[in-house]
Amino acid sequence: MTESTTAPETACPSCGAGVPGGARFCESCGAQVAAAAQPLTPPTMVPADDLGDAPISAPTRRPVDALPDPLPDPGRRPCANCGGEVGPDLYCLSCGTKAPSARDHFREDPASWVAGVCDKGVKKSRNEDAMALLAGEQPGSRAVLVVLDGVSNSIDSDVASLAGARAAREVLRTPLPAGMGTPQSREAAVAKVLQDAVAAAQNAILAVTDPDSPNPASATCTIAVLEGTRISHAQIGDSRAYWFPDDGPAVKLTVDDSIAQQQISEGVAKEVAETGEFAHAITKWLGRDSHDFVPTVGFLDIEGPGWLLACSDGLWNYASDPAALAAQIAAAGPANPGDLALRLVAFANAAGGHDNITAALARVGPLPEPAPATVETAAAPPPPPPTSATTGPATPTEPTGAVPPPPPSVQNAGTPNQPTSAAGEGGPTDG
Amino acid sequence: MAEFTTAVFQNEFLPDGGTDVNAIVTISCKGAGTAGQSGSGDAGEIIIVDTSGSMGPATMAAAKDAAQAALAEIVDGTWFAIIAGADRAMLAYPPVTSGPALVQMTPEARQQASASIARFVGSGGTAISTWLDLAGQVFASVPQVTQRHALLLTDGENRERPGRLDEAINRATGYYQCDCRGAGTDWQVAEIRRIAQALLGTVDIIPRPEEMRAQFQEIMRASMARGVADAKLRVWTPQGAQVLFVRQVAPTLEDLTDRGIPVNPLTRDYPTGAWADESRDYHVAVRVAAKALGQEQLAARVQLALGDNVVTQGLVKATWSNNSELTTRIDKQVAHYTGQTELAAAIQEGLAAKAAGDEATATTKLGRAVQLAAETGNEEATAKLRKVVDVDNEAEGTVRLKRAVEKADEMALDTASTKTTRVRKG
Ligand SMILES: [Zn+2]
Ligand SMILES: [Zn+2]
Repeated sequence: MTESTTAPETACPSCGAGVPGGARFCESCGAQVAAAAQPLTPPTMVPADDLGDAPISAPTRRPVDALPDPLPDPGRRPCANCGGEVGPDLYCLSCGTKAPSARDHFREDPASWVAGVCDKGVKKSRNEDAMALLAGEQPGSRAVLVVLDGVSNSIDSDVASLAGARAAREVLRTPLPAGMGTPQSREAAVAKVLQDAVAAAQNAILAVTDPDSPNPASATCTIAVLEGTRISHAQIGDSRAYWFPDDGPAVKLTVDDSIAQQQISEGVAKEVAETGEFAHAITKWLGRDSHDFVPTVGFLDIEGPGWLLACSDGLWNYASDPAALAAQIAAAGPANPGDLALRLVAFANAAGGHDNITAALARVGPLPEPAPATVETAAAPPPPPPTSATTGPATPTEPTGAVPPPPPSVQNAGTPNQPTSAAGEGGPTDG
Repeated sequence: MAEFTTAVFQNEFLPDGGTDVNAIVTISCKGAGTAGQSGSGDAGEIIIVDTSGSMGPATMAAAKDAAQAALAEIVDGTWFAIIAGADRAMLAYPPVTSGPALVQMTPEARQQASASIARFVGSGGTAISTWLDLAGQVFASVPQVTQRHALLLTDGENRERPGRLDEAINRATGYYQCDCRGAGTDWQVAEIRRIAQALLGTVDIIPRPEEMRAQFQEIMRASMARGVADAKLRVWTPQGAQVLFVRQVAPTLEDLTDRGIPVNPLTRDYPTGAWADESRDYHVAVRVAAKALGQEQLAARVQLALGDNVVTQGLVKATWSNNSELTTRIDKQVAHYTGQTELAAAIQEGLAAKAAGDEATATTKLGRAVQLAAETGNEEATAKLRKVVDVDNEAEGTVRLKRAVEKADEMALDTASTKTTRVRKG
């Protein structure tokens, strides 16, 4: 039973529903409950590592260049099932479908060319994926994509992954350092910042982990930073970053820290390794029982337009070959990053949605021409809006033509039909 | 200001392909105040007393005394009138022939009304349709009276052309509420129950004249405590769903299913009348389209609305699961009230069969009633059934019809059939 009257619990600040003591999220609307989510005391374990001496070029890390957070996700969207209006109780006013909470499905679109979608998927009961994005207003200027995948069945990994993603983003708010002029010193300086970002995520995860937890929260962490024509990335675990040039083969930027990847590098066939018993076991992660949270860092200088993608395995499990994922992007045709992220999430949901799904994208260069166009033009006109035709159980595309029910109009009894006469017809007497 | 709360009792888990959702929704009201004093309009009371020739001297004396006692319970300032009913209805108080036919209660008005009751003389027949129609006219003569309640006492069977009473009931339905009492044993339970159910009131038998005073006082006191006028049970169901039924199941059983007034294509309002500090249980059953395993769906929003203002809401849910431990559980409250509903039907059908001389059906039905009353802990029904049947085995429901049964006992069993007991906590 649910009871709206018992109140040893606290009330949700967002929807007013009762929240049991100790709960971090409102069961009704999914809002985080502030009082309950007070972080535990952060442990003091910022690693002093061997890259500590790398010179950091201060002028490129000016606070004035800091990117602002994306605008808060407006939340309340039309019903994903029928397009109807969703009520304050988070159920559709037309078809009754439960709308996802703000934790189970959220989007960020910090700039016209950068956006991401983080979704619970079909089969999981909660969304333990998290993402945090930043972008400069100018297309192609600077974008930060952070994706964390909370390890399922560890306690509060949904809270931890989001805290970790946001902490890493905080470190990457200002431009990456340029070093002392040589490529080596620059890469060392950038690696140091990426390590700091991962360490910040690690600390944030520890801060929300109960020290007595028998099953402490843990998460993967993939960071991709685009500045002009350079991608810098850092990796812990098996989320991934890709570069999909418009012309040319897809590039998987990150290498999974997983048993499957180890086996592949030892010569086991990819298909065998990825379907093996421990295919999904990761060898590095963030969290209290992490032994090694120094990320694998890499760089790529890009030419020409394309898509930078950071995603969780909830997406790439259904398209492990980079070419297969590239085909999904190509199939979407010209799209803005928000629509493309929705399409990728819808693709994974339609394929089963067994895991949480995150897709964060940055578009480099103008958006591709519609299919018939063959000639490259210097100034491409803005592409037509995408034709959304996705299907699947949790298709999160915005449906059009929402028809909210008409406002209630109460029919009152009013005055009754006036009796014509109060006199009867003088029937036979009783008695 | 009245406060309303809602609790929902249900098993929301449906098996793969399951479509039918059952829930008991308890709505409680606190701080209702006094009738006519909540600022939403004035309250009006009409006392309707049978003055037909069948009223014996003892019954008539008791009725006068009871009506006078009821007057004492009407709070000063409340609009009221007295109607004397025979083969036509007569406005006994106030003494007017046109204009407003209700006056506000004062000590003087109470005295004058009391004196007019004292002058009642029994004569003529019984045409209840005229009583109901006059009450409607009297209420309508004072437009600021928005909470309308009548108390009707009769002692005899209605003697009118068939259908006439039903037409009058239809005219009064949704306009005023009416509690009905039958004196003695010469009236028809089914007939008077029809009036009470349509007009959101209670029905009971007053077998002995000396019990009349206390009953009238209690009815009027209860009516004065209803500070919340005209609340509606508002039920939303999703597109494509079907409301199987909406029943009030406590404190009494009332099937509201056919009384819904559409608010919009997905929402209906069911009348519940005025509320005091009380709680009522509703059994709502909805058929929805089956969804995939793991999906959750809202099957109904059950709300209480005052005017257009929704004051409380309960959510009835459906979640499809392949865990049979979850899906096979039947909610205790749902099971209890399903049993109470069957109990009421078994009593009414059993008594009807007995009256028609079909002893075999009567024995089976009343046996089942004995069994259900025991299972659901309805002690009042058990006690009343034992005055009509001899019980051989309560658990198996084997009974014999008693040879000599007091008619009043049979009628008391009939009128009590719709009274339910709540689930024993624990
Ligand atoms: Zn909430
Ligand atoms: Zn909908």
